[in-house]
Amino acid sequence: MPSLTVNGVAVEVESAGLHTLLHVLREELGITSPKAGCQQGGCGACTVLVDGEPRRSCLIPVAAVDGASITTVEGLGTPERLSVVQAAFHERYGSQCGFCTPGFLLATYALLERSPRAGRAEIEEALAGHVCRCTGYVKIIEAVEAALRGEVAAGTEPTEAVTA
Amino acid sequence: MARADVDLVLPASAEEAVAAFGDGAAVTVVAGGTVVMPELVAGRLRPERAILLARAGLGGITREAGRVTIGATTPISALEDGDEPLATAARHVGDPEVRAQATVGGNLCTGASADAPRGDLQAALIALGATVRSAGRGGERSEPVEDFLSASAGRLVLDVSYEDGPRQTGYAAARRPHAHHYTILAVCTARTADAVRVAVTGAGPTAIRLRAVEAAVAGGAGPAEAARRALDDVEGSLRDDALASAWYRERVLPKLVEDALAAIDGAAGA
Amino acid sequence: MKAVGARLPRYDGVAHVTGRTQYVDDVRVPNMLWAKALRSPVHHAAITGLDTAKAEKIKGVHAIVTWQDVPKLVYGHLEALGIPADEPLLAKDDVRYKGQPIALVAAEDEETALEAVAAIDLDLEERPALFDIRKAADPDAPTIHQWGNWYPHFENEMDVRQIRKGDIDRAFDQADTIVKGVYRPAAIEHVPLEPQTALVVPEPSSRLTIYSCTQALYFSMGVVAAHLEVPLNRLKFVGGTVGGGFGGKVDTATETISALAALKSGRPVKWRWTREEEFLCSSTRAPWHMEIADAVTKDGWILGRKMLTLHDSGAYARFSPYGLTKHSFHHTGAYTIPNLHFDGYVVFTNRVPTTAMRGFGVTSVSFATELHVTRVAEVLGIDPFELRLKNANRIADTSPNGVSYTDPSTVPTILAIADAIGHELPADYRTMTRDSRAGELLPEHLVAQVGEVDH
Repeated sequence: MPSLTVNGVAVEVESAGLHTLLHVLREELGITSPKAGCQQGGCGACTVLVDGEPRRSCLIPVAAVDGASITTVEGLGTPERLSVVQAAFHERYGSQCGFCTPGFLLATYALLERSPRAGRAEIEEALAGHVCRCTGYVKIIEAVEAALRGEVAAGTEPTEAVTA
Repeated sequence: MARADVDLVLPASAEEAVAAFGDGAAVTVVAGGTVVMPELVAGRLRPERAILLARAGLGGITREAGRVTIGATTPISALEDGDEPLATAARHVGDPEVRAQATVGGNLCTGASADAPRGDLQAALIALGATVRSAGRGGERSEPVEDFLSASAGRLVLDVSYEDGPRQTGYAAARRPHAHHYTILAVCTARTADAVRVAVTGAGPTAIRLRAVEAAVAGGAGPAEAARRALDDVEGSLRDDALASAWYRERVLPKLVEDALAAIDGAAGA
Repeated sequence: MKAVGARLPRYDGVAHVTGRTQYVDDVRVPNMLWAKALRSPVHHAAITGLDTAKAEKIKGVHAIVTWQDVPKLVYGHLEALGIPADEPLLAKDDVRYKGQPIALVAAEDEETALEAVAAIDLDLEERPALFDIRKAADPDAPTIHQWGNWYPHFENEMDVRQIRKGDIDRAFDQADTIVKGVYRPAAIEHVPLEPQTALVVPEPSSRLTIYSCTQALYFSMGVVAAHLEVPLNRLKFVGGTVGGGFGGKVDTATETISALAALKSGRPVKWRWTREEEFLCSSTRAPWHMEIADAVTKDGWILGRKMLTLHDSGAYARFSPYGLTKHSFHHTGAYTIPNLHFDGYVVFTNRVPTTAMRGFGVTSVSFATELHVTRVAEVLGIDPFELRLKNANRIADTSPNGVSYTDPSTVPTILAIADAIGHELPADYRTMTRDSRAGELLPEHLVAQVGEVDH
């Protein structure tokens, strides 16, 4: 029975070892932020961090990551305290329908950790596996650059919706 | 066979992997999972028995005794800053996340899908004159990559190796300007003191060594003249797929051959 | 006004970046079954046999629905707009596009559902297929739709959408040159990141709760109610969170069939399309074939336009007649052409039925018009900006279908573009406005068509 640490919590996985990590996260553990966008590794909506590295959870048999530490967007921050990456995507409108957003956030987070001075080319390379159909990518890149440049602080207050 | 009923083996060493693989009958090998897992999830592959190589210790790159040896489960990303034309071919596979998970062995064993060519590393390895070491029926075997490709069924790749030495290399490709797009057609060339080797990916179900082009070069032909032999070894294997038609490939291949040869031309004495 | 002009945070922004936004696939209900569809493997065939007996016996299969389970099998989504019904919810006598749904299996898990789909016995007798709309009228073309190869139910049972305005023969007579062009934009896939998904929960009250990714909640509710022959108050639609739609999630492609499986099994059923299904079986923006001939004077007036449009509806009508109608209303685009002869046909092919996608019907003709106007400018040797400004819509000009423009933005837009790219224009063009031209500013060929503006 594989065991994982998911967002800091130790779990024993009951699903068969050949089930994908995506399936385990969504169906067994109820963590629904990684999405089944294509289940072929082609869109990036399923990306999670495996021991800090961004990987396609739809391509990983869970038995292959026995003992690993998995981070999903739920582990990056909360509405009460958004991480820098999350705050940047929110403030700079890097998300429209939101379906691709968790994958982009984790890939961006990993980029920030390994290459805090990344330039445009490196950003685009790091996000190359992530497809967004809504935004046209401009606002996403702006959000990533804002996060890299330290223009956005981690959120400490929930942002209130405006009612007309 | 339900996923839960699959006999799943996780060998903890190369020896265990070879033993579990046996003669390769009725067993599915999962290395990086980038090719196999989508087939499993879609229900097109229903193995009774599967071997996960994640812990078999088959990864790693060593340079020893004049040879570079790449373990089967080495991630493709590990090649990106290494020897050409392998490095460029590696960088053209998928995207960083996929490359970090996909393996060299898996890439060697994968043929074209219905929609696109795969196995970009094969042509680069052929150009490098690489040898595949594999296990399976009849025991361990070592053979040139191009021979392995025509007889890879029932083999478990252990490693692939090539001579560690100076060479000039070339790489010319027809690609579309998208991230993680499969390569339509790519020609890899390498010149050592002994010979020039030329191979193509995207012109058939697996990579093909362009022997007629090599022979022309050995006979003194320059890039343009040798490129006229480009289609000799791919006759009948060009096909239409989601990326391009056979018609298009037929016309582009000689140009790519010429470009890839020009990259190593006049290297004599250089 | 606090909101207009202000930079407001998205009300769903925090939910998006914390992974809390709940799409249909994220809804969790106990005892849920997974659904998979049997789809036509060929483009056109008669169904000579359909037997689900073997599949139903597979352990873990709870329901299989076919056409026999559908109370109202054929319901036209736009019957209210006069488009009669032509498409069965699940195939009965024949299949007319590769991927057409024939049956839905609801089972304990996806694997079992897939196994059951493979165990359904399907017998087909293939028929010749039609893919090229230009060939639909050929004597040897196969007939692929019960109405013939193109839609025959426009007003007065016409088989063509026509616009006739002014005196086209006189315009072509008076022209110095006729400029022709053919424009053929291809089909486009919506490719939403969220594949189409529906989750239907049978409630103890005998209502159905339907979690839907539809872009058109009340519309889809009506479609489901019609097929199921239940009053609207039997349905509770939960929606509004769409992982990308772009027009492709108005077809109500998953809700009804999933509802039937939920009713038959008595359990919640989720049908989540795969990416392959999205690419192969989901509706697309239509391919179009447009032929334009403009009668033009050598000083750049477009006196008249003859146009033929063939719209590829795919195997069934769906919304295509509506799309073609809008297309016809806008077939002169941003320009005023007073003499018009437009014929448009909704042509059936054995492709996936086409549907709405951003600008449905109009993007195609805008594309064609803009290319054609540039072509006219090239033929006449006139600056393309000047040609556009000359023919641009003015206040009180009328559209192809006679609507008077009250505030057309062509002139200010083109001037702004010229300014932005530093394109020099002569003074009389630089000072053009959208104001209606009158008196000596009104060219003779436009005199008759200028409408009245309601102030």
